[in-house]
Amino acid sequence: MLDRLAGRLGPAALLLPAVALLAVVFVLPLLRLLELSFSDPAGAATPYVELLHDPIYRKVFAATAWVAVAVTAITVLLGYPFALALARAPLRWRVILFACVLTPLWISVLVRTFSWMLLLETNGPVNRLLVAGGIVERPLALLFNQTGVLIGMVHVLLPYAVLPIYAALVRVDPALLRASEGLGASPARTFLRVLLPLSMPGVATGGAFVFLLSLGFFITPALLGGASSITLSMLIDGFVNERLVWPLAAAASMILLAATLAFLAMAARFVAPAAVAEVR
Amino acid sequence: MAGRVALAAFAALLAAFLVLPVLAVVPAAFSARSFIRLPPEAWSVRWWGTFFGDPSWRRALLKSVEVAVLATLVAVPLGTAAALGLARLRGIVRRLALALFVGPVVVPVIVLAVALYAVARSAGLVGTTAALVLGHAMLALPYVALNVGVSLAALDPALGRAAAGLGASSWRLFRTVTLPLILPGVVGGAVFAFVTSFDEVVLSVFLAGPSAKTLPVRIWEEIRVEYTPVVAVAATFMMALAILAAASFRLLRRRRA
Repeated sequence: MLDRLAGRLGPAALLLPAVALLAVVFVLPLLRLLELSFSDPAGAATPYVELLHDPIYRKVFAATAWVAVAVTAITVLLGYPFALALARAPLRWRVILFACVLTPLWISVLVRTFSWMLLLETNGPVNRLLVAGGIVERPLALLFNQTGVLIGMVHVLLPYAVLPIYAALVRVDPALLRASEGLGASPARTFLRVLLPLSMPGVATGGAFVFLLSLGFFITPALLGGASSITLSMLIDGFVNERLVWPLAAAASMILLAATLAFLAMAARFVAPAAVAEVR
Repeated sequence: MAGRVALAAFAALLAAFLVLPVLAVVPAAFSARSFIRLPPEAWSVRWWGTFFGDPSWRRALLKSVEVAVLATLVAVPLGTAAALGLARLRGIVRRLALALFVGPVVVPVIVLAVALYAVARSAGLVGTTAALVLGHAMLALPYVALNVGVSLAALDPALGRAAAGLGASSWRLFRTVTLPLILPGVVGGAVFAFVTSFDEVVLSVFLAGPSAKTLPVRIWEEIRVEYTPVVAVAATFMMALAILAAASFRLLRRRRA
């Protein structure tokens, strides 16, 4: 009996329970949010118009984009040489370096961000070291501003840049590098003319990952940032939890979602959506 | 040569930057004072006593475990079945199904949180364990499906044909051939699902209400105002659990390879 029932289980039946869960907990709530974004009594499009025209909100959009671009640039610039070292390291070191990249991904972003709160305080260890080392005279403001947000986000997102760049670097055929050097090119020239161009797809993938994750990042900016560095995700939180304005919250969410999907469509050449999940 | 050394030194520095800052919560958890100063001037385990003794922290810890176990129990069978189904799909249907399954990973979590909060509020589900379990299961589902999918892809299709040729039914084939072979992937997916739920902050902050606060929600609320070293204890506890999970996941992967 059970055998015959199971024999008929096609792909549809196997997918059904998961699809049902996603329909109720994922698709339906997003549709409800879309509906809410047009529910302003003052007019369906009012929240969108307000968000896109008010200079305060435009500043938030600009800050969100700026943080995402800055974090992407920094993680790629730091991640590339790190990935290169990883690719060239002897096996034993490679294992250790890999553990350093992958293990933090398991630790809650909340815990990692809290650590930075302790380290970056005015009287925290980082400032005390800077003052004791004579690098600065007075403690720097590293927390509750954009500096703190950048430090925390680069720390959390760096592995997402390193891994695709590493994958691209190890795919480069070593024979090409040997050929270039055999033909008399200096190591610097071989790097610039052969290795760098061939590893660019990895840079594009890593950069796209980091940018995508930065756009909607919430925990780290909310804890390390301040009133002067509000991002779109913090704005949405404020709309829901402080100002209780659902149409604005829903419209801002839809704008963030649209920006994310638009970027994903643009970057689809470099990023298979499934790969976003694979990295973690 | 000098370039090599410089590159290695840079890599060591960056590896330290990736790993060391997280450890700041550990000394903070053994502070004797009621505020955190690093390194602590006096050491003590008193805040560990507070963490395990205080009813509100203990409730949060138990709630986290409860939600993570239930979310894993929902996500693992659903994700495993979905991976089996996805493996049999081809073409456009497969791509559509994949797009739906990675949706929860791609959509910014703040958007998911607000959307779920809106629906849960009108359904009267804010502050219930059910809302947290379903939300976390949704986030964990892609990771389970992916992990199982990797194991499935490594499976030799000849095994299935042989079993079918010998007259085994699909269910018997699954139970006696497929499942034992993909089990490391399923268990890996379960570890992933548990950690995803146990670490989850944003959905939980919106859905927990006053009655279903998990450990991350308690930490979140404390560090947004004023906090004592007990928060560092909670953070250290979460970190230790995460490292344990990472280690067991790596062991599973080694066995699979």
